[in-house]
Amino acid sequence: MTTYIIQRLFIFFPMLLVISFLVYSGLELSPGDAVSHMISPELASTITAEQLDAMREAYGLNQSFLTRYWIWLTSMVQGDMGYSMAGGVAISEIMVKTVPATLELSMVALFFSTILGCSLGVISALKRGSGTDNSLTVAGMAGVSIPEFFFGLVAILLFAIELKWLPVGGRLLPHYETLWDRIPNIVLPSLVLALMMTAGAMRYARSSMLDVLAREFITTARSKGMPEWRVNILHGFRVALTPVVVLIGFRLPLLIGGSTIIEQVYQWPGIGSMFIRSVRASDYPLVMTISLMYVFVVLTASLIIDVLTALIDPRVRLGKE
Amino acid sequence: MEDKNNIALSVRDLKTFFYTNNRCNKAVNGVSFDVEKGKTLCIVGESGCGKSVTAATIMQLLPTLSRIEEGEIKFQKDDKIINIEKLEKNGKEMRQIRGSDIAMIFQDPMTALNPVYTVGFQISENLKYHTNLNKKEIREKCISLLNDMGIPLPEKRVDEYPHSYSGGMRQRAMIAMAMACNPKILIADEPTTALDVTIQAQIFELMDKLKKENDTAIILITHDMGVVAELADNVAVMYMGNIVEAGTADDVLRRPTHPYTKALLESVPVLGRGKNQDINPIKGSTPDPYNRPIGCQFAPRCNWQTESCDVMPEITQINETHQVRCHKYEQFFEKYK
Repeated sequence: MTTYIIQRLFIFFPMLLVISFLVYSGLELSPGDAVSHMISPELASTITAEQLDAMREAYGLNQSFLTRYWIWLTSMVQGDMGYSMAGGVAISEIMVKTVPATLELSMVALFFSTILGCSLGVISALKRGSGTDNSLTVAGMAGVSIPEFFFGLVAILLFAIELKWLPVGGRLLPHYETLWDRIPNIVLPSLVLALMMTAGAMRYARSSMLDVLAREFITTARSKGMPEWRVNILHGFRVALTPVVVLIGFRLPLLIGGSTIIEQVYQWPGIGSMFIRSVRASDYPLVMTISLMYVFVVLTASLIIDVLTALIDPRVRLGKE
Repeated sequence: MEDKNNIALSVRDLKTFFYTNNRCNKAVNGVSFDVEKGKTLCIVGESGCGKSVTAATIMQLLPTLSRIEEGEIKFQKDDKIINIEKLEKNGKEMRQIRGSDIAMIFQDPMTALNPVYTVGFQISENLKYHTNLNKKEIREKCISLLNDMGIPLPEKRVDEYPHSYSGGMRQRAMIAMAMACNPKILIADEPTTALDVTIQAQIFELMDKLKKENDTAIILITHDMGVVAELADNVAVMYMGNIVEAGTADDVLRRPTHPYTKALLESVPVLGRGKNQDINPIKGSTPDPYNRPIGCQFAPRCNWQTESCDVMPEITQINETHQVRCHKYEQFFEKYK
């Protein structure tokens, strides 16, 4: 197991490097640069080419693509994330502000959707063909197929505008900083996010569970005279869990990447909305940091998934002895 | 045969029906037999004749769309007679019988063991629910069971997962699991179909040994006439949900009285007779269970069919042990004597 993890770590860093280079190249290929976004449209007509070049030189943008990438890479390795070109703020500072917001939202959603999704899926599978199963199936299909933003907007319309129970969006009102003050703001976005994720997890858990319940070892377990809960949970769900863990594992990047769409809809000041803004502004350092962080989390998540599946299913245990 | 104390399980006029798409499949349609203590009863027949359903009915392990329609399954537990068909499907009483008094081994050991638990754990579950042994004793018992089944290095193997066992070893582990609580009846549903012939012989040897040592009654379900000849004390031949002929192995194999039994025996090649021997496969195929022939179920495929076969023949007792369900058995018996 340890060897396996070490092996995986060996590919980890080269992969990060390659992906960071690809992202950097992608940014280079996109039209415009940071300078063209810094100038307000009113000034654009009066500014001269020399002035623009001077600005580029000041920011080091006139150097070759590879030199710039190298400078970025070396300082990144030293832990210096640089400054946002759009606002001149240190990126580390932006991260400190946005990461907790995103973590807060997605952790709440991931936690509830996992628990709810798995249990509803199992119930649905065990009561196959019943009224409960049918209504859960319909709800699940709706949850999977309705786009997040639409669902989010309908929720705003209903709970925030019509019923006025909850705020429309945002994370914190100024001077309201206790935990209790935060709850009304997080309810809607996390609920919408969680419901969408629950639907997926539930469908997955249901079909995986149905598949397992039809297998012969379930009959074997029953033939030993064990109570039904033990047959279904210990022998059934334990085996059915593997694909569900993979699905949930691939959602881990959401924790850091945030749900871009939901963050936009609810004006949640997280990484997702920050990412969109930075791409629009060709803010290289910020885009690079966020995407690198995202890649890092995706890779870590897939490592975690591998370890978890190996723990759940002994047949997966690779590179042992 | 009439000695009641000798009978471990008695099945009378058992009917198990499957209901799918508003149609009814009479998978087991009036089956009666007795299982004697310490004897092997072989239930033989083609695929789909209801042998496995009979086994599942005794264990109450039927799938959701099927149910016991009629009949009795009387199980002798200590001095009491328990009517299995009256117990709740997954109720407490049924669960107490399952795995402890009546145990079952399945056709494919590759799929019948749970891949995510160690073999030891899966055997121990049986002991945990049916005995008062503590953890340490259970573990020792698991090791000794594996040892009895001829698995090498049982102390190490007990903690291994099924995927590191070979097919034959898995079936041994299955038998260890089934034998854990010294059941009075062991139901083996085609236990060697998925294994190769050398392993098959070993498994049967093992089952035979267990039968003699523990006085376990075995219900062996098979379609292999060779296996029947070797192991059976009693034989029941099933066709389309009915027992068409039953008796001691000698009765059925040496003096088959039903055209179907005869046809089954003739369709098996015999080793040593060379490749030019006559093999007579049974003509046609088993009828659609939803569109059964009236009267004798075998009539459409039978060379002896006459008009009288349009009525379902009753069971006729030929001698004390031998019974048959055929109108023409007397003539048939004469011809093939």
